[in-house]
Amino acid sequence: MNPALLIVDQLQIDVNALRGAAPKPILRGVSFAMQPGETVGVLGASGSGKTSLALALLGLLPPALTARGRVLFEGHELLAASRGARRALRGRRLSIVFQEPLTALNPRMRVGAQVAEMARAHGERDARRALRSAVDMLGRAGLPDADVRSRRFPHELSGGERQRVLLAMALLLDPALLIADEPTSALDVTVQAQVLQLLHAQQRERGLALLLVSHDLGVIATSCERTIVLHDGLVVEDVPTRQLLSAPEHAQARALVDAVRPAVRSA
Amino acid sequence: MPREIVTRLLHAIAVCAVVATSVFVLIQCAPGDPFATALDGADVPPSVRAEWRARYGFDLPPGERFVRWAAALTRGELGYAASRHRTVAEVVGDAMPRTLLLVGVALGLGFAAGVGIALVQTRHHRRWQDRVLGALTLGGVAVPEFLVALLAMTWLGARWRLFPVAGMGSLGDAGAWPLWERILDLVWHLALPAGVLALAVASRVARHQRAALLAVMREDYIRTARAKGLGEWDVIVRHALPNAIGPVIALLGLALPSLVGGAVLIERIFGWPGMGLTLFDALLARDYPLILAAVLLATVLAVVARTVTDAIAEYVAPRRARER
Amino acid sequence: MAASTWRRLLDDRAARVAGGVLGAAALAAVLAPWIAPHDPTLQPDPVALRLVAPSWQHPFGTDPFSRDVLSRVLHGARVSLGVAAGAMLLSVTLGAALGALAAVVGGWVDGVVSGLVDVLIAMPRLLVVIALVATFGTLSPWWLVALIGGSGWLTTARIVRAEFRDHLQREYVLAARALGASRWRITWHHLLPAVAPQLAVAAALALAAVIPLEAALSFVGLGVQPPLASWGNILLDGADYLTSAWWLVLFPVAAVSLTVGSALILADRLRVAIAGEEHGE
Repeated sequence: MNPALLIVDQLQIDVNALRGAAPKPILRGVSFAMQPGETVGVLGASGSGKTSLALALLGLLPPALTARGRVLFEGHELLAASRGARRALRGRRLSIVFQEPLTALNPRMRVGAQVAEMARAHGERDARRALRSAVDMLGRAGLPDADVRSRRFPHELSGGERQRVLLAMALLLDPALLIADEPTSALDVTVQAQVLQLLHAQQRERGLALLLVSHDLGVIATSCERTIVLHDGLVVEDVPTRQLLSAPEHAQARALVDAVRPAVRSA
Repeated sequence: MPREIVTRLLHAIAVCAVVATSVFVLIQCAPGDPFATALDGADVPPSVRAEWRARYGFDLPPGERFVRWAAALTRGELGYAASRHRTVAEVVGDAMPRTLLLVGVALGLGFAAGVGIALVQTRHHRRWQDRVLGALTLGGVAVPEFLVALLAMTWLGARWRLFPVAGMGSLGDAGAWPLWERILDLVWHLALPAGVLALAVASRVARHQRAALLAVMREDYIRTARAKGLGEWDVIVRHALPNAIGPVIALLGLALPSLVGGAVLIERIFGWPGMGLTLFDALLARDYPLILAAVLLATVLAVVARTVTDAIAEYVAPRRARER
Repeated sequence: MAASTWRRLLDDRAARVAGGVLGAAALAAVLAPWIAPHDPTLQPDPVALRLVAPSWQHPFGTDPFSRDVLSRVLHGARVSLGVAAGAMLLSVTLGAALGALAAVVGGWVDGVVSGLVDVLIAMPRLLVVIALVATFGTLSPWWLVALIGGSGWLTTARIVRAEFRDHLQREYVLAARALGASRWRITWHHLLPAVAPQLAVAAALALAAVIPLEAALSFVGLGVQPPLASWGNILLDGADYLTSAWWLVLFPVAAVSLTVGSALILADRLRVAIAGEEHGE
């Protein structure tokens, strides 16, 4: 078996203590591992700490939060790495697609330039070449008329198109791990399905590992081989998705499964 | 869009008309006229006084004088500045460019420095750089600029003789110097007054720009930019600044009138022969046409500048905000 | 909502310090006749006691006329802060009243008030005040209050109008309306308390704008006239002795800067408390 791509070991995230108040934990010791090319779902209700987990992996926690523990990614100890070393990995080896495709894009920058910036952040000196690869990637991400639309501003695109822009941005440099934080919950149901399909097509094509964070079991059930259930800052299940659907062990997982079971069965 | 321009123009004209009327009315209520000091002595025969007052229309009832003055104004005539023995247009024509130079340089320098300070503060938010610059800009707003002017003049000017303390050019044969030397001389004289004014502008701009930047730094797209692996400076300059600078430009437009007011004091302290100094002299001499013209033109200047900054702020406003 | 804003403000150390400075300055102004060691206008010995450096006898030194600078700064606070507080109250009250009127009544009243604000806000305030003061000769402090206060209500009116219009759309106001409350009852009992923090910001900013304005006017000899002391005219007396008698300038400037700085900090912290975002940062 090849070495794990990502090992999260006893990851803890605390809200920094304000005057007098005790530090409040968001994650209380989370451990799991991912193989290259694997698709893992992280399932949890809102407030279970799943977004903080995603941000911690990238080193983008807001200053009010502190992460402890160990995160090993491609042999790099992320929590101990220097800011520069982490920055070099961000976007190039591990990238993220955020939940809200409108607010996640800079309203004053053309979308093509925003995608191209990913290449320029990692050493591409030639602006025109960066833009060309961005337009190319936008096209592969399913943005129609990519060469025209890449000159649009975010508000001139639809929600699904914006999400494709974010996806193109995340995939531009062929990362080994893509984290998708609720990538579809801000979209219409039909668009949701398209974006998920695209995500998988790209994943298969490039062999990247996907960590899909969602509160929606339906989304995870249709896409992930394995599911981790987060509850109250702890991993309560880490099982193949099929097993989770048929026999959830933890009460919280059962509640989540029961809530969507009819929909999943009919699917 | 053309309609908007027309509205703005009408607006600007209304402002100037209101200011002109109110200043005229108030001056009418005030005691004395330009001839009071020169002519109202016991040794001047009444016929002479009447002759001079009649020559400049001071014997007419206030209503008619206002109509005449306003009518002349629409023709672009500002009247005669008795205290200078020149037409108001000539006096203002000399003074206005000097004030524009002073305010323009101060505004440009101050704005650039203020934005720069705010960028550094944002980059090092809550660290010592932020605190030191925050204290300095707070001081820059809290310490009255006339006092900074006084200190600069006393030490940098009089004590250490680094800069001239007054005027806008060297005396003597300076007029015969080659062009670049005269420009250098002007810059040298401009340094203190413009520097002091720029300091005041920079402090105000920095405080507002910092707040605007920090608000933008909480946006989701800043997180996206960081997720790309961009350096923090690139994130701030390329993503935060374009979204945060619009409100500050608009605010600068609102603060312009007070900047013009501040320039008046600075001109007086440094003897910079612009509109401010002209206004002070005119006030002492009760030279009403000149007072009216000075206040009116300062207002026009403020209105024009504000219209321009509004247009710029509109242009750089986040597209999202405009769409909604 | 407003109540928690005040509580957050009280929890804020910088805000407490700034409020303390302003409170101490106000107290000094009120108590000046009792705590000033000397008569601020008395010239005991214009030769022997001229420009004496700070000492136990004269903690802030003496001026060119042998007057005690500490006593003049304390009495100056009465005039300077009195004029500033008066002008601030006048401009904030006027601005709040007109802004509220425009928002609540709407229609042509709103048109007139907003138009007036838009027109007048372009006037260079210091310039106009200087022109007026100079035209009418010297003015009593009461006239200064009227002039400075009367020309400063514009920004407050803008803020209050915008805030009121925002709150008028909110559900609690609609609910109160549905229950049959009158416009003025809603204004007084709901809107005014809701915008009180913003009004406090406007007041602090007005104070920070007005103190230097009085100082500037008095400094060019157009404001408070001697022998009455104000921070501005103490500076005017000291301007000629900047290098020889630093105490003449340092103490009144410190007084102006500390009060203005405190007002600015208070306005800043109030904004933070209103946004309630201190915990997020």
